[in-house]
This record gives sequence, C-alpha cells and structure tokens, in this order.
Amino acid sequence: MIEKRKNILLFGILILALVFFPFLATNYWIRLFTGIFMYGTLAQATNILMGFSGLVPFGNVVFFGIGAYFTGITMLSLGFPFFIALILGGSVCFVFAFVVGHPVLKLKGHYFAIATMGISEAIKQIATNVKITRGGMGLNLPLVPLEVNASYLFFYFLMFSAMILVTIATFWISKNRVGYALRAIMSNEDGAKSIGINTPHYKVLAWAISAFFTGLAGGIFAYWYGYIDPPSVFDIGISVRFIIMILLGGAGTIIGPLLGAFFIELLSETVWSQFLFIHLGVLGAIIVLVVIFMPKGFVWFYRQKFSLEALMENVRKGKL
Amino acid sequence: MLILQVLINGILIGGLYGCVAVGFSLVWGVSNIINLSHGIFIMLGAYITFWLFTLFHIDPFLSIPISAAILFLVGYLVQKFLLNYVVGYTQQSGFGVFLSLILTFGLARVLENLMVGIWSGDWRSVTTTYSGLSLHLAGVSIPYIRIAVFGVALFSAGLLSIFLYRSRAGMAIRAITFNTVGAQIVGIELDRIYNITFALGAALAGIAGSLVSLIYSFSPFLSTPYLSWAFVIVVMGGLGSIYGAIAGGILLGIIESVASVYVGPGYQQAIGFIILVLLLVFRPQGLFGKKFLK
Repeated sequence: MIEKRKNILLFGILILALVFFPFLATNYWIRLFTGIFMYGTLAQATNILMGFSGLVPFGNVVFFGIGAYFTGITMLSLGFPFFIALILGGSVCFVFAFVVGHPVLKLKGHYFAIATMGISEAIKQIATNVKITRGGMGLNLPLVPLEVNASYLFFYFLMFSAMILVTIATFWISKNRVGYALRAIMSNEDGAKSIGINTPHYKVLAWAISAFFTGLAGGIFAYWYGYIDPPSVFDIGISVRFIIMILLGGAGTIIGPLLGAFFIELLSETVWSQFLFIHLGVLGAIIVLVVIFMPKGFVWFYRQKFSLEALMENVRKGKL
Repeated sequence: MLILQVLINGILIGGLYGCVAVGFSLVWGVSNIINLSHGIFIMLGAYITFWLFTLFHIDPFLSIPISAAILFLVGYLVQKFLLNYVVGYTQQSGFGVFLSLILTFGLARVLENLMVGIWSGDWRSVTTTYSGLSLHLAGVSIPYIRIAVFGVALFSAGLLSIFLYRSRAGMAIRAITFNTVGAQIVGIELDRIYNITFALGAALAGIAGSLVSLIYSFSPFLSTPYLSWAFVIVVMGGLGSIYGAIAGGILLGIIESVASVYVGPGYQQAIGFIILVLLLVFRPQGLFGKKFLK
C-alpha cells in the first residue's frame, strides 16, 4: 500500500514537472518532448492490445496514417475545425479496426502480426495512388492560427493530453473486465473460451480502442507537421519503433511503454546529434542487447531491484 | 503478343522472388525465427558480387558461390552468438516468439549502418558486357540474363532440397520440424541444427542477392521490398516449403507483372499485400495445402 502511494506521488510530481517544463525550456526541447509524447501515445495505445493479450499488431501504424489523412482531408476539403476532424479521424480508425478486426483477429502470433503489416502496406499503396490523398505529392494542411511560440505550446499540451488520456484508458482497462479477459486470452485462449469469455469480442474491442488513440496521435501529428505523405505516415518503421519501446519499457505495465518512449527518443536524439553516421547502428545494437538481457523490460528490472544476477538468469533462460 | 511477354516476364522474375523467399521460409519453418535481417543479407550478397566484379573483374555468376559461402558463415555466427540466446523463449506463450523478430530487426539496422559505412548509400549496379543481350522469339524478347537468373534460382532451390533429403544434417533439420522433442531424444543437438539452418537461410539470401545485383540497382536501404516479398511468398507457399516458395514466387511474379500492365504500376505491390491478408485469413496453410517439410 505504501509502495502504491509512493508510485502515485511520483507520478503526480512527474506530471506537474512536465506541465511546467515548456515554460522554462527552449523551443528545441519543447519540440523534442512533443515528439516523445507522440511516441508515448503510440506505444501506450498499442500496449492496450499487445501488453494484455500478447498479440503484436506490427502494422498498427496504418491507424496513424488513416488518422493523419482523415484529419487532413476533412479539414482541407470540408473545412471542418481541427478538433472535430481529429475526433472523427480517431473514430474512423476505431470503426476500421472493428470491421477488419473480426476476420484478422482470428489469426494468432506471427500470422496476426504479418496480416496487420500487410493491411498497412496495402493501404499505404492505395493512399499513394488515389486522387483524394493527392498521392505521392502529399497533403499540405492549413497553418495553425497562432504565433510561433504559442503553437509550440499548443502542440506540446495537445500531445501531452493525448498521452495522459491513453494512459488513463490503459489503466482503466487493466483494472476492468476487458483487461482480465485479455490476460486470460494471453495465458490460454482456448481455456478462456471454455469458461465463457467471448474472446473475439474483447480482442476486437481492445484493438479498436488502440486504433482510436493511434489515429488521434496521427491527426495531431498531421496538424503539427503541416505536411504529410504516404511514405512518412504509413512508415512501418514507426510501428517497429513503438513496439520496441513497449518491449523495452515492459509490455503490459502502465508506465513501461512511456519509459520506453522517453528512453528511445532521448537516446536517438543524442546519438543522432553526436554520431550522425552510426546512429542506426547504435540503436540496433541497443535493441539486440535489450532483447538478450532484459526481454521483459525496465519495469521488470526495477522490480528485480536492478540485480545483475537476474540479467544473467535471462541469458540462461533464453538459451536452448 | 503483349500478354505472352507479360507472362514470361512474370515467370522469370518470379524465380528470383522464389529464391529470395526460400531461405526465409526455411528458417521460419524450422526454428520459428522470423528473420527480419533476411533483406539485409540479400543486399550483402549483392554488394559482395558488386565488389568482386568491380575490384577483381570476376564474372557475377562465378561470384555466386563466394557470396553464398560468406553469407553461410555470417548466418552461422549470428545464430550461434546472438539468436541462440533468445530461441529458448519461442516455446513460451505471449510475445516470447517476437523476441527473435525484434533482435533480427536490431541486427539489420547494425548491418545496414555497416554497409553504408563501407559502400555508402549510393545506388550501385553490376553491368556486364552481356547485360543488354536478349533472345527474340515469336515477337517476345527475353534478356539472356533473366533466363540465367531464373535457372540459377531454381538450381539453388534444388540443391537445398537435395541437401535436406540426402544429407544427415538435412535429415536432422527435417526431424526437428516433425517433432522437436523426439529429435532431441534420438540425439540431435538442437542448437547445432539451428545454426546450420540459419546459415543455410543466409547462404540462400546471399545467392538471391547476387542474382538481384544482376537485374536491379541496389543500395543498403533497399532491403525492405525483398523482405516483404519473402513474407507474401511464404504465406502463399506454406511455411518451410521449398517448392511452395518457388511456386509462390512465380505466382507472385505473374500477378505483379499482369497487375502492373492491366491495373497500373502503382497498384502492383498493393495487390500483393491484399493477397497476403486474404490468404492469411482464408487459407493460412498456404495455397498448396500441406506444409512441405512436415
């Protein structure tokens, strides 16, 4: 109980610090943190499905792209205000995941991961070729009607609230029957079915919720950057990045994916600015080391009280 | 005559697609490792041929065994010193199976970065004196090089098949896919066989890379399309199946070349991915039914 209170207190202090942070920091740091919050939102959204049910949606970036394009197109062609376009974009992702989820979520393990990747790539190619997205030319969104510093703050707090919102949703799901159903599916799907859990329903619901938040992040991203094109918003690399963040922080935990996002983004910014030519390699090497030594992530390592023996135990466990 | 030309183009390039997928399929089928560095291995094979050709003027076709041998060694070391430390998780529930996937993704980025360091990010190609020659037959023109590439691709898949059915190591690989526990009881060392399997998969990627270098331009960042072809083909042909991979490759080649002419070149890849998703949902065992290795 004391442990729990300590955690809540720490969490509160962290949130307060992040609220006051942009008033002290330069625009460079505000922009960097907006990016971190975006990845935090994406990682947490995917954590809802991946962390609890063990299904890895490799192509979840498709919702990022759909959210971005839907927000952009409704603002440009229909003249919708940003917030309505944003919510609509998220809802379209929710519906899309709900419709596609019923057949696709019958698949398990690798096959589900690949099917989502296939969907994402197919939608990307279609977005490149249809007229309404203006194809490879990309889409220029309307400018934010704010002066420079205010727009930095606007997107900082927008992404921040998206991240907080999805984290609250994840927390709520983890304590809710949806979360318990998903965990039951992870440990034994047939067993879960046999005690009367409607497994397809919960899996589809979890995926649709995760799609909604991924779409929100996509919509905010589109308005923030002002320009989107299919290769950048349907980039499978974004998916891989937030899946790595989830694994790194600890899948199925509330704080883990956010920690992963902070770690990877700050690290890649540092590596990027210091060692431009080897930044990909350094990131790759870190991924390799984490998978071998810490496959359950930071939160697990914290719970093991940072013991090195536990790390070596992992190496033994993973070995044949 | 257009349709005939389109079909022949598709079949010939499909052989190469098959070769791209065979090694990937073998590794996935035997050790349940999805090797995301397969595309990078292919690019590595292409660069080995490129280097041997430009530095030592070795004919690209003669460099194929060399690139296969080098990639065999690379694959062996990768499995022995990296992947064998996580394959233990593949039997567990949850996302244990994904650790090998994430690990190979990280490895791919390291290798990609190394390749950019050595060969830079520029586009390269291998152009021989006979690159432009083609065979004209009944209104259809077929470059000789594509025929040769098709032949080599089928030949290497055939060699792999002979290895799996005639050699002791090959039989051990098949035994593992039948029954992992049973194979260990009769004395097959799992980690050793996994090493050999992964090395074979990498060697086939090397061969495919050498063949790619003869037809297309390449750069270190161009590995993703080959990886996605491999995914589509494995799902089409069935996991771990050699003939399935070749047949799936040829089928995909035909579909893509027909689609690019009659639907539009932009939709070529979209159609491949849509087929992938539909197959996974409606026919996850592959088009040709049973898994070949099993």
